[in-house]
Amino acid sequence: MSPLIEARDLTKRYGRHLALDRVNFSIEAGRIVGLIGPNGAGKTSALRSLLGLTNYEGHLRVLGREPLRERTSLMADACFIADVAVLPGWLRVDQSIDFVAGVHPKFRRDRAQALLEKTAIRGSSRMRELSKGMKTQVHLALTMAIDAKLFVLDEPTLGLDLLARRSFYDALVNDYMDETRTILITTHQVEEVENLLTDLMFIDKGRIVLDCSLEDVAQRYAAVALSGSELEAARGLRPFYERRTLGKTVLYYENPDFARLRDFGEVLTPSVSDLFVAKLAGVTT
Amino acid sequence: MNNASWLIRREFWENRAIWLVPAVIGGLLLLGAVFGHVQFGGELFRPDGPGGGVPSQVSLYALSGVVTSMFLIIMSVYSGWYLLDCLHADRKDRSILFWKSLPISDSETVLVKLLVGLIVIPLVYFAIADFTVLCMAFTLSLRTGYWAASGFWHPSLWLQIQGFWLYSIVTLAIWFLPVAGWLMLISAWATRAVILWSVLPPLAIFIGERWMFGTYYFGRELLDRLGAGYARHAFNLTLGGEGWRTEVLHPEGGDQTLSFPTTLWHLLDPRGFFGSASVWIGVAVGIVLVAAAIQLRSRRAEI
Repeated sequence: MSPLIEARDLTKRYGRHLALDRVNFSIEAGRIVGLIGPNGAGKTSALRSLLGLTNYEGHLRVLGREPLRERTSLMADACFIADVAVLPGWLRVDQSIDFVAGVHPKFRRDRAQALLEKTAIRGSSRMRELSKGMKTQVHLALTMAIDAKLFVLDEPTLGLDLLARRSFYDALVNDYMDETRTILITTHQVEEVENLLTDLMFIDKGRIVLDCSLEDVAQRYAAVALSGSELEAARGLRPFYERRTLGKTVLYYENPDFARLRDFGEVLTPSVSDLFVAKLAGVTT
Repeated sequence: MNNASWLIRREFWENRAIWLVPAVIGGLLLLGAVFGHVQFGGELFRPDGPGGGVPSQVSLYALSGVVTSMFLIIMSVYSGWYLLDCLHADRKDRSILFWKSLPISDSETVLVKLLVGLIVIPLVYFAIADFTVLCMAFTLSLRTGYWAASGFWHPSLWLQIQGFWLYSIVTLAIWFLPVAGWLMLISAWATRAVILWSVLPPLAIFIGERWMFGTYYFGRELLDRLGAGYARHAFNLTLGGEGWRTEVLHPEGGDQTLSFPTTLWHLLDPRGFFGSASVWIGVAVGIVLVAAAIQLRSRRAEI
């Protein structure tokens, strides 16, 4: 089976600035992929290209389609929330349901209504009268009621408080995700998505610096915390990043010789957040 | 087709002014007709007045002409603004990212907005203007007595007036297609100051042409497109002749006369309009501009 998303040498320029620099990746069906990077790393450019919102160079196929040319048919099978504040202020909640039900062949109105009934939102409210958290709930209800194969979220929780973020991700995982769906999330906040992802992609300065499933992280990455003479010896195994904590130095390795590493001490699997910091700092210095 | 009907509904949700503005104007006019001082045509139209019974159809022409053209003038300003704003507003508030997440093509979106600006808004204004004229005619008949009433209530006159205005709406839409295309192109392209951007390039071409060649072709064409050109192409403006009737206003003395067509059909000039090169050149320019707006729309997201 061909991958759901396939990018080869995907490049996006803004004038002389390279937002994406010959990026390669592919995403299989049924995964929850996090595209993680600092602000300005190229996440949004990547998503805009995938969703047919902007032109790009290179080869790109999403659900077998060429996004920019076939956005209309792509949007019948893919849906996205590009930041939650984009529902227009004048639109009423019931109008938004009517409209999507009217134009989207795979929208299930009963499902959207069931999702909204769990909230305190009234159909007669205009979007501008809703809080940011409520708007998120509306947008999520509209989107989750679409039987889409691919769901793309761009910084979905930007500007939301902790409670709203939690309920957002809970709804996503519990009410939406199943083996027929694929979710791609971009965020610069690693900690809030690390528990729900199946795959990681780190992006920095327009390049993918890590592309790995979570199951593989333990086989590919390792960290040891050391001090004194052992530290010098362990540095010989070429860590890609080191970080000093209370009296010890943590060394991070990619594809290390695990047997030799174990001689120095306990080998840990770095957390996603640690890996993120290590990878990004490793690239920048 | 299904998408188009939802997209049109959407425009009404967003732009409630489409029907609110004409409704308010109509309401004010009706209030005026009910409570105002009536001096409609003065004594002129009274059968026993100085006009000596100028055919009563003129009073309905005059009422519909004045009221409906007032509506259409306001409509053209509103519609121009609508076209200039329609591809810009959703980029500014970023809601384009919501609309583009739905399986609706950019050409559908742009063409529906063009249709709303050139046909739907004029039809809404016209319907409300027509209803206002009807109510005013009724009110004025009650207030002025039989002589006005006899002028207002001719079914064939009403039919002519409907035909006249519908012809105007269709020909206006065709005539102003290049203007609408230009406004939409600016709307799809500019990141801000849409009004300024819509005015500056034509002004620059005008000044440039004058400066370089000392000629005014562009400015003249533009003024003709925005001004008198429409009436010249769409209507038969030669007064008098076949189908016209002239009455002497003061039989007792004086030589004031009033000319009016016996039917409004004499005023329409569809053969001249659809046979004019100027009209079709405008249509071609309009199509190019709208196509460019669609292209821009598909490549631009939020501002």
